[in-house]
Amino acid sequence: MSTIDQATVTRVKQVVAARSDGALLSATEPHADTLQFAIEKAALRAVVEGLVNELQARFMISVGTDRRPVTGDFAILHLFSLDHEHLYVLLESPVPEKDLRIESITEIIPGANWAEREFRDAIGIHPEGHPDPRRLLLADDWPEGTYPLRRDFPYNFQPPSVENVRPQLREPPAGASVVPMGPFFPVLEEPAYWRLFVEGETIVGCDTRIFYNHRGIEKLGDSVLTYNEIPYLAERICGICGFIHSTCYCQAVEKAAGIEAPRRARYIRTIMLELERIHSHLLWLGIAGHIIGFETVLMQTWRIREPVMWLCEEISGNRKTYGMNTVGGLRRDLPNQTKPKLLETLAEVEKETIAVRNAIVGDTTLHARTKGVGALTNEWAKKICAVGPPARASGVAIDARIDHPYAAYDEVPPQIATQEAGDTWARVLVRVGELLESIRLVREALSSVPDGPICAEIKEEIPPGRVGVSVVEAPRGEAVHYVLTGGDNRPYRWRVRAPTYPNLQALPAMVSNGTIADVPITLGSLDPCFSCTERLETVDRRTNEVRVYSHAELLEISRRKARGGGTR
Amino acid sequence: MATHSDLPLLLLMTLAKVVVVLGVLLTAIAYIVWMERKVVAHIQSRWGPYLVGPHGLLQPLADALKFLFKEDIVPDEVDRPIFWLAPLLAFTLAFLSISVIPFGESITIAGHTIPLQITDLNVGLLFVLAVTSLGVYGVALAGWSSNSKFPLFGGLRSSAQLISYELSLGLAVVSVVLIAGSLSLREIVEQQRGLWNICKQPLGFLLYFTAAVAETNRTPFDLPEAEAELVGGYHTEYSSFKFAMFFMAEYANMVTVSCLATSLFFGGWLGPVFGPPLVRSLLPVLWFALKVLAFLFVYIWIRGTLPRFRYDQLMGFGWRVMLPVALLNVLGTSLIVAWRSV
Repeated sequence: MSTIDQATVTRVKQVVAARSDGALLSATEPHADTLQFAIEKAALRAVVEGLVNELQARFMISVGTDRRPVTGDFAILHLFSLDHEHLYVLLESPVPEKDLRIESITEIIPGANWAEREFRDAIGIHPEGHPDPRRLLLADDWPEGTYPLRRDFPYNFQPPSVENVRPQLREPPAGASVVPMGPFFPVLEEPAYWRLFVEGETIVGCDTRIFYNHRGIEKLGDSVLTYNEIPYLAERICGICGFIHSTCYCQAVEKAAGIEAPRRARYIRTIMLELERIHSHLLWLGIAGHIIGFETVLMQTWRIREPVMWLCEEISGNRKTYGMNTVGGLRRDLPNQTKPKLLETLAEVEKETIAVRNAIVGDTTLHARTKGVGALTNEWAKKICAVGPPARASGVAIDARIDHPYAAYDEVPPQIATQEAGDTWARVLVRVGELLESIRLVREALSSVPDGPICAEIKEEIPPGRVGVSVVEAPRGEAVHYVLTGGDNRPYRWRVRAPTYPNLQALPAMVSNGTIADVPITLGSLDPCFSCTERLETVDRRTNEVRVYSHAELLEISRRKARGGGTR
Repeated sequence: MATHSDLPLLLLMTLAKVVVVLGVLLTAIAYIVWMERKVVAHIQSRWGPYLVGPHGLLQPLADALKFLFKEDIVPDEVDRPIFWLAPLLAFTLAFLSISVIPFGESITIAGHTIPLQITDLNVGLLFVLAVTSLGVYGVALAGWSSNSKFPLFGGLRSSAQLISYELSLGLAVVSVVLIAGSLSLREIVEQQRGLWNICKQPLGFLLYFTAAVAETNRTPFDLPEAEAELVGGYHTEYSSFKFAMFFMAEYANMVTVSCLATSLFFGGWLGPVFGPPLVRSLLPVLWFALKVLAFLFVYIWIRGTLPRFRYDQLMGFGWRVMLPVALLNVLGTSLIVAWRSV
């Protein structure tokens, strides 16, 4: 654990006390690095302002909790990080059922936009003064007044769809036309809908609709699964960096319950996390090449990546979704005989990565395609709370491995490099640098893995009402997991924030004034990661009627077509 | 020259040549696609087609069958006549320009000397340039008639790109014409017996080749169909054989510009000739084919090596670099030609 300066703790307390002006309900320290304040909701906005302006706190996520079975009210929790002081600050406000409103903080923190829309959709607490009244999380045909994350909403309940709804999409400014990118688009591996407002080929604005298939993972976590089942679900949050989510979840629970994972487990987690970063960054490099029409880079980097996948398979039995994590440590040890092979493969990957790096760095066409493209300014990166490589490429020196050390990063610290330009080229350089740094980290961690048990013995039940916040530096940026423990051997609330969540919010500013040709690579340079879909939306041009087809209807249409009775 | 007594024979001969050339060209296109997939695959450490026939050699056949049997989707809102016309135009014009390319000297069968060229127009070069320019219409009309944003962008980009690069291409060719003093491709080739034009016009060749890559919408100038931003570009809405026609037109254009490059700069069919009469008359065809194949290989090689430019960069390069250099080249060449003739 990195040392926490007591003076900072005192200062945070002073700022919160001064800004809350007597509305402070309680101030606790659940953990050495976590300060939790309960504040009456009328004073929440003022306190947030104080934290951001006086302490440069970085907003991470909001958590809306339905506490009615326990305390009879709802609660909104804003999570902040004081990165260089290694502190988490949690601001919680009770929201009574009679008055489901809370003051919006989006005006102070633009990056809180989606978080607030999300708790409005999921819990039904209205952020007053929020600039965007539209839905974020819920489908357009989801009925009004039904909030899926409330405790009285069964996990398997399917509310009836609302008929004839219009998607809530913004209209382009006068004189501009719309170029749709998505929901299905050749370079987007996952569904997302970007409405680009263009004048000629110049972009003057953009609107987004994502969350096409919200899988309800958080809901499953607090209603069906138990503590030790969740890691397997958490691992399936992401198709690339699953181990990151299971580690992050386990760490949050371990923290809440006061369990210390053994040193060996922490080292092996570090190794797996860095291996994941290596194969994820190589994958990204290939996709970026593909986006700008450089197929050879795609093929070569994926070829280099493959042995890393084999290594993961050799260690865990799976190329992906390792199933190694459990609360308290690991289920599976790192076999000693894989060590020489691991080092050998790493040397090969390193050699080839350096070759690719040298080829890329000298390519003038690549410079022309990426330099000055999709710039994210340092100021906006901070305001929109960008994380990971996009933040570091814009000169924001944050990295969860250093700011909130977890696993074995306190003993094998990474060296992070930042770039100032903030453009796509800077993001390429940051990632390539990280790739080589990860190889070094795996080597270093391998050479100092201690012997010992891989899982802590847990003798007592995890007590309810404890809080745990954990972050993990995923390849795409910082992933945040928040766990509030509950009864029945499962969390009362489990909140996940993936790194793409804040980064995607930065996209509109990045593509503005660029050309259509720059959008794919700009989006790609964020290394976005969404999820899968099963729905389709059509607009009848003659009547302007918008229809959302259900899965059953789509099936019917396709079968009818196949039988020869076309719908034309 | 033909008197009207052997007119039927001439007609028959030309018809035979058309059939042979078209057949060879179509087969060649199919196997250029195969070659492209193989070469690019090996550049990218893959195998490429491998399952249909030995080394995937029957893959082109399978692809052709697939194109024939796929459902031909015509979207509701398209401008139907033009939607149909566009692939026809692209296809026809692409194959038309091959008619004036000389692919060998001549062959003598039963006392008749048959020139190995469908027709030797005295303005052959102009004809090729005119026909390839018309080819833009196929692309532009496809983009327009599809009544959809991505094809429209693709079509517009393509028209702008082709017109811009046509200029440099034309100017590069002008410098060759200045040296040869003829527009007939046969004569231009004949004049290279001593020294190939590549030695006299190295800059002209570079300009020609770069512009030709852009003319044929190939990587790194394949912006009209940049899938990352424009889905399929101008042919997004096309399917089945209509798509195949665009596809074949693209490869036919590649063959045409390669043939032209060979004829203009690399001495066409010229090469060492020996052996019995039949071999003597067929060897030039082999030399010609080999030279064209080398160009096609370079095309594919480039695709495996370079990323795509952005649209404004492409246009900037065309107008700010290519065109001034091409103009200077023409100026220099004409000065030298004028000085020599004085």
